[in-house]
Amino acid sequence: MAKEFSVPPVVFPSSAGNPNVPHQRRPPGAAPMPPFQPPRPSNSGPANPSIPFMSFDIGSTPASSSFSAPVFASSSGGGGSLSVSGSFEDEPPLLEELGINTRQIWRKTLSILNPLRVNANLHEDGDLSGPFLFLMAFGLFQLLAGKFHFGIILGWVIVAALFLYVVFNMLAGRNGNLDLYRCVSLVGYCMLPMVIFSALSLFVPHGGVVIFTMAAAFVLWSTRVCTALLVELASCGDEHRGLIAYACLLVYMLFSLLIIF
Amino acid sequence: MILGCNFGSVAHTDMYNNLGNPAGVQGPNVNPQPNPFGNAFYGAGSGLIRGGLGAYGEKFLGSSSEFMQSNISRYFSNPQYYFQVNEQYVRNKVKVILFPLLHRGHWTRITEPVGGRLSYKPPIYDINAPDLYIPFMAFGTYIILAGFTIGLMGKFSPEAMSMQFTRGLAGWFIEVLLLKGLLYSLGGGEAPLLDLVAYSGYAFTGLSLTLLARLCWSYSYYALMPWMSLCMGIFLVKTMKRVFFTEMRSYEKHSSRQHYLLLFMAIAQFPLFFWLGKISA
Repeated sequence: MAKEFSVPPVVFPSSAGNPNVPHQRRPPGAAPMPPFQPPRPSNSGPANPSIPFMSFDIGSTPASSSFSAPVFASSSGGGGSLSVSGSFEDEPPLLEELGINTRQIWRKTLSILNPLRVNANLHEDGDLSGPFLFLMAFGLFQLLAGKFHFGIILGWVIVAALFLYVVFNMLAGRNGNLDLYRCVSLVGYCMLPMVIFSALSLFVPHGGVVIFTMAAAFVLWSTRVCTALLVELASCGDEHRGLIAYACLLVYMLFSLLIIF
Repeated sequence: MILGCNFGSVAHTDMYNNLGNPAGVQGPNVNPQPNPFGNAFYGAGSGLIRGGLGAYGEKFLGSSSEFMQSNISRYFSNPQYYFQVNEQYVRNKVKVILFPLLHRGHWTRITEPVGGRLSYKPPIYDINAPDLYIPFMAFGTYIILAGFTIGLMGKFSPEAMSMQFTRGLAGWFIEVLLLKGLLYSLGGGEAPLLDLVAYSGYAFTGLSLTLLARLCWSYSYYALMPWMSLCMGIFLVKTMKRVFFTEMRSYEKHSSRQHYLLLFMAIAQFPLFFWLGKISA
């Protein structure tokens, strides 16, 4: 068959009965293929069970079928020019598939903002995407201050979470049921006051009394929220509240050092 | 004291072996914990699986917990024992460490028969029992205060913090070696390693206090550092003496060699404290 592109066709052995069907990726902006219908196997789905997204329906719309369209899963094949034979529309939206529940993240963030009353039910299941956002924001604010600390923040958060995990579980004894995932999630969410502090510290003169008092206030805020959450969420933290509070204080003072100096 | 000696000569190996036996360690109030060490890590395993480490999480942590139970419990006594603390114990113990001369009571650890063998009471019941919470927290405080000191000197960088962390760990290690060497040279090498780690870690409380005072007024360092080294020396002498009593054979007690070694240990605290207290970026 005469082809316009020099890209050799990728032929999948299981494409039922039509070995000449080319599954090609077209670079964006390429000239449109002449309209051409690859025969859709009647037993649609399991033709290529492992790579459903490869069977493009190229002929349905012309040209602007850009390469990036299949990534927008939420477009469910209708708006885009590409659709997998049959199963694409049924795929869940990308964020849901990744487990990022933005509404929940927003609610959890708002609950941290109140240092006096802590809502522990929201934080029952840990998630790492909120902390990831906070850490990125923290790194960005540090960058604005001229310090490139992304890797250090990540490493220190991991070490701090491990430290809290070990201390909490050892203190709580045999009934300690804090797991590392939830611990990292809690430490990350309670970083929010630190992120706010790093934003505010950009406007405050370096080394004055103001920045130290602000640091004290924000560290205490973080510690209070973190301790309250840890004690509520994991069992047997109650009789060791002061001990756990001191451990959290150490963790957040460590991060405040990054911001102050 | 005579009672303590009798315990020492008759059952000292049992005492320390009990610390490695999970069934015999806990005091009467705690539920019997057949596998406290293993449980802590099992919880870790399931959490990590849920957190998305996948099958590797279970394989890594599950298998290592069995490995640890079988092998590490031979070398480490049960670490759970050292974390049975409460706030009152912590407060009182810090007072004992910082002002050992004011401690009016005795320094021996209380033993109790558990399951037919003698074991030490956990830290909640016994002010003289070692714990690992205070050393960890004191070490963390030392690192933070060192960070503040470096920052106020104007030379803060995360690498400097890592450097301080490593120095602190090295200091802790040297102290443990010192205590262990002392025990070996006196013939009894059977004290649990975590006991020695705990005793050495108490040095960081004095150090942290000195660093804090130095942040407030820089000349306080010259008064407080020798004082803290002295206090730590006294504390170590008193505790290690009791450890020796339970370790050694009866014909070697009260030897002058023992006293000289204890004195050496107390004097060795001074250079160690000065080295750890010298914060430079």
